[in-house]
Amino acid sequence: MKKQKIKNQIRRLRFDANEMTQAELAEKASVTRQTIIALEAQKYSPSLELAFRIAKVFDVPLEEAFQYN
Amino acid sequence: MQFLNNYSNRELNIWAELTLDILVYLYFIYRVYPLLINGQFNNETLVPIIITTIIISIIYSIIVFGVINIFTKEEEKDERDYFYELNSYRISYYISQGGILGIICLILFNELYQENIGLLTPPKIAMIFLIISVLSSTGKSLTQLFNYRKSI
Repeated sequence: MKKQKIKNQIRRLRFDANEMTQAELAEKASVTRQTIIALEAQKYSPSLELAFRIAKVFDVPLEEAFQYN
Repeated sequence: MQFLNNYSNRELNIWAELTLDILVYLYFIYRVYPLLINGQFNNETLVPIIITTIIISIIYSIIVFGVINIFTKEEEKDERDYFYELNSYRISYYISQGGILGIICLILFNELYQENIGLLTPPKIAMIFLIISVLSSTGKSLTQLFNYRKSI
């Protein structure tokens, strides 16, 4: 069975948000920059709470920032 | 300082912990092995080795962890850090449990076939426990480092 993964659009959303840096996003979402790097590399699936926090930073609905394939 | 910039504060602390584990292990084996060979391994010879190991560990911790925290900014743990930490504790637990099971088997076999595998004295059991705790800590650090590197 193929492994299900949560994909995200964080990199695109960052650039759309006036080229927000990873450090700025990390600070706003209360995580470390390494976590943002891991998320953008699609190598870490965030908790529901963190996913909501990130979507809130960009002021977009959760499903625009994260997709479940 | 380029090396310090490539790693987060947490990763550097884990590297330092791993290095300490390896140093303790090597020092312990270096001091204990000749005693085992010469048959001088007992409480009197083991206690000074353990005390020296503890003193070395404390000095190492003050210097190395101090340098790391001076040159890198300490970050608050987030959910990913806790997740990897829990994962590493699981590995550490398995190693400890495996080690304890090994000691139980060793004691039982020692009781049954004493002449074949040699006398298992309390200092030897203490030494095995120390080695298991170092191995368990090493397993924990390696798991954390593996997870951090894998996700970058």
